[in-house]
Parts: sequence; C-alpha cells; structure tokens
Amino acid sequence: MSVDIESARLTTDVPAAEAEMPTENADLLSKLRRYRNLLISIFSVVTFISVWELVGRLGLVSPVFLPSPSLIYREGVMLFQNGVIQTDILASTRRVLVGFGISAAVAVPLGLLMGTSETLKAIFDPILSIIRPLPALSWIPLSMLWLGIGESQKYAIVFMGAFAPTLVYVIDATRRVDPLVIKAAKNLGASRLAVLREVILPGAMPNIISGLKVVLAVAWTCIISAEMVGASNGLGYRIWSAKDWGNTPQVLLGMVGISLTVLVIDTIFKKVEEKLIPWERNRR
Amino acid sequence: MSLIVFENVSKWYVDGKTRIQAVDNFNLSIEKGEFVCIVGASGCGKSTLLNMVAGFIKPSSGRILLNGEPITGIDPRCGMIFQNYALFPWKTVLGNVEFGLKMKGVPKKERQKVAREYISMVGLSGFENSYPSELSGGMKQRVTIARALANDPEILLMDEPFAALDAMTRQVMQEELLRIVDESNKTTLFITHSIDEALLLADRVIIMSARPGRVKQDLTIDLPRPRHVSDQLSERYLELKNTIWSSVEEEVLHNMLITYGENNRQPKRKLA
Repeated sequence: MSVDIESARLTTDVPAAEAEMPTENADLLSKLRRYRNLLISIFSVVTFISVWELVGRLGLVSPVFLPSPSLIYREGVMLFQNGVIQTDILASTRRVLVGFGISAAVAVPLGLLMGTSETLKAIFDPILSIIRPLPALSWIPLSMLWLGIGESQKYAIVFMGAFAPTLVYVIDATRRVDPLVIKAAKNLGASRLAVLREVILPGAMPNIISGLKVVLAVAWTCIISAEMVGASNGLGYRIWSAKDWGNTPQVLLGMVGISLTVLVIDTIFKKVEEKLIPWERNRR
Repeated sequence: MSLIVFENVSKWYVDGKTRIQAVDNFNLSIEKGEFVCIVGASGCGKSTLLNMVAGFIKPSSGRILLNGEPITGIDPRCGMIFQNYALFPWKTVLGNVEFGLKMKGVPKKERQKVAREYISMVGLSGFENSYPSELSGGMKQRVTIARALANDPEILLMDEPFAALDAMTRQVMQEELLRIVDESNKTTLFITHSIDEALLLADRVIIMSARPGRVKQDLTIDLPRPRHVSDQLSERYLELKNTIWSSVEEEVLHNMLITYGENNRQPKRKLA
C-alpha cells in the first residue's frame, strides 16, 4: 500500500524535475530515481522470500510449522489445476461484494438523511448505537439459526459487519460538508432536496469513499471468519479445512490468496474513486 | 419605490445572560441601480446586515423590504457573493455558473448558453470545464460573480469580496467589477473596510457606527464615472477620503474601548 503511494508520487514529481535539468546526465539521473524505489521494493520482496525459503531448505523450522515458499507454490499450482482456488476466490469475493454492496446501498442514503435531518437522527441513532458495538461475528449464531449456512447467511454477516460503520462514516461525511457552500446553494434558489442531491451528496462523496475503503477491509474480515465457522467453499473455509487436515502449505496459500484478492479489489476501487470524484483529480 | 428599505432594523444575540446588540435601529433606502458601500470598523454588524438582506438570519425587530415586500426567508433575488467564494468544488466553472438557472428549471441548452455569456463577461472564456481548485483566487471570485449574475438577482450583495485577494489582483477586480456592474446594470450593496475601495466603487458610502451598528453618515460620492485607480490622486477624492476617515476613526477608537471594557468585565474570555 505505502509502496504504491510512493511510486505514484514519484511519477508525478519527476517531469517537473526533468524540466529543470535539461542535460542528458540529469535525465538519466531522474530516470534512475524514478525506478529507485521500485527496485528497492522488488529487492525487499525477493530478500524476504529467499530468507524464508532458506530457513525451510536448511531445515531450521519444520515444514509443518512453516512451509517454505516453494511448497506453497507447489500447493498453489495443484489447487489451481483442479480449479479449487479459483472457486474459493470467486465465492469469497462475491460474498464480500454482495454484502458490502447491499450495505452501502442502504447505509449511504440513510446516512445522508440522518446527517441532515435531526428528526431522523433522533429516530435511528439509538438503534445504531446498540448495533454498532456488536462485532459481525456475534451475529453468526443467530444468522445460522435464521438463514442456515447458505449464501444469504454469508451476505447477512458481511452486511451486519459493514452496515454500522458505513452509516457512521456517511453521517460524519455529511456533517463535514462546508456550511458556506450549502448557504450559497440556498441563496441560488436550491430547495431542500436539491441541496441534498446537488451539494451534500457530492460534498460528502470524498469522505464517504474513504470510509467505504475502510469498510471494505472490514467486510473481508467478516467473510473469512464466517466461512471458517460454516461454509463449503471460500478462502476462509479453505484455510480452516486445511488446518484440520494438517496441510500447512494450504493454510498459507489461502492467506496469500486473501492478500492478493484484496489488493486487486483495492486497485479496482481506486479506479472507481477517480471516476466518482473527478474534481479531486489535481489533489491526488 | 426604493428597491431595498431597512425599517428600524435591530439585531441582537443572546450569549448566556448578556445580550449583544449587533445592529441598532438601522434605517436605509437603496434605489434601483445604485452602488452602495457600507464601511465600518470590524464588528460593527456590517455582515449581519448583509446576511439579513439575503435572508440567512432574521432581524430581531424591524423589517427589510424588497420592492415593498418584507424579506422572510432565503431569497434568490438577493444574490450573495462571499469573501471565501463558496464555489461548488465538484462542479466545473460552467456547472457553478448555471446552478441558479438549473434550480429554476431552465432547460440545459438554454441555461448553458446564458452561463457562457456571463463566463465571457467576467473574462473566463476557455475555463468553462475547469474545476475551482484549478483556478486562482481572482478567477474564483470572477466565477462567483458570474454565478450570481446568471441567476439575474435584483440586488448583488457583496461581503468584502476582494479581501482575500492580493493587492494587485484586488485592484484589477475592482475595475472589472465596475465594468460588470455597469454592463449588467445591477443594484449592489457592497461591504468593505477599505475606504479606497468604497470611494472607487460607490455612488453612496454609508459609514456605520461602532457596535451596535447604526448609520452614522450617508455620503453621496460625486466623483465622475468611469472611475480609475488614477482618480485616487484627485483633490475631491482626497477630500472625501478625509471626511470618511475622520468619521471612521472615531468609531474604530470607540470600538476598541467597547472591546476593552467587555474584556475587563469578563476576564476569563479570550479575545479573538
């Protein structure tokens, strides 16, 4: 994550620096600087994996406790060839996105209303403050009783994990909208509804989106745990069942799978963010 | 009939047990097409007056009439121009300027045509698709002026609109404003604490007393138009400036005494 930010900043900074130093030498230097951090990052990853591999090869730690990267890779190839890992990734991703999506679809409009109407806030606030401290996992028994261990139970767990934090983020974002801009809109003849649609929603959007990014990570925590407790596929299930069979490489493979999937989804989310708030383009 | 009439307007705030009188028995009539500047020491209730005309706050007593009818709420006929621009950061220049017309339900094609006219009037053609964050302070204030004008208000309310700009930009904007107001023939109520700004722009200068704000002096500025910055060297200009300054100076000193006195009574409160 931090590596990503670093490299992004470098690519924007460098052209200006190049313009100041027109000589070939400086050009080369700036090119080198551009790749410097990337090279360092690659080096750091390679070193980390090599040391880990070496620890396994030299027999310093038993592979049952910590299998070496090559063993995990072999396990990965096998699970990939019979399609297991793809099914797991797709299942978990779908559960996260559906639960998260439904939660956002309900929490964003509700949060906008609660942030702007004292009455609605008074109605829903007590309920929110009771639900909010409950970890999503505490809903697992009840959700199983009501919904079994099918897909809808998974969606429900993600929903319960994502809903309250999303609502809190949206209410907060709504209240941070510059009151002067709201005044200006009213002065130009905007009705209450127009203020909500034209001013408060876009004004709160940057903060809503950064809130949603945090909640997305929470949603992943929820689904992995829910799958560990009761599921027949998914990354959480894969890790848990591998543990039962004493298959440590598969446990670690599942963890790597989670990591990579979340990274990919984060990247997609960033693209969506750029589309949703184009006016922030020169602040990034 | 006057366009705007202040009828015995008073405004006070209650802070704990003390009542703070911001404006006291303010009376003023503004004719259509006039450019009126209100000058006064800081804290004399100038902004309070403007906010009452815009309908953001209500007078505690008295009333403000627009075309003979009292102002009861936020009224788009009184177009406000804020010192801090208050542009919509998520809208382009065009989106900002057409906003008022959009709220009136004017079809897209038509309102964009009108918006472009005003963007060109304030000299920002070519920046229609820029976002406010990509503009300088002076350009932002031009957008705000275009946005207010596109909505065709009866009166422009300007609350120290150029105070946040650097001295040179400020001078350019003052001359631009003269041209724009002349072209659009708008009545303007302009608040400033710069005597030079008031003398350059106004047909009438209203000097307010220190808190509580009242009309202390109502001065007709008979300097010939069109005016330029160079007029600031003329004899009549200096004469007027002197008159205003001696009047304002008294109030500034008075204001300092009020503040000092208050501070003495409530030693725990810090002054901003």
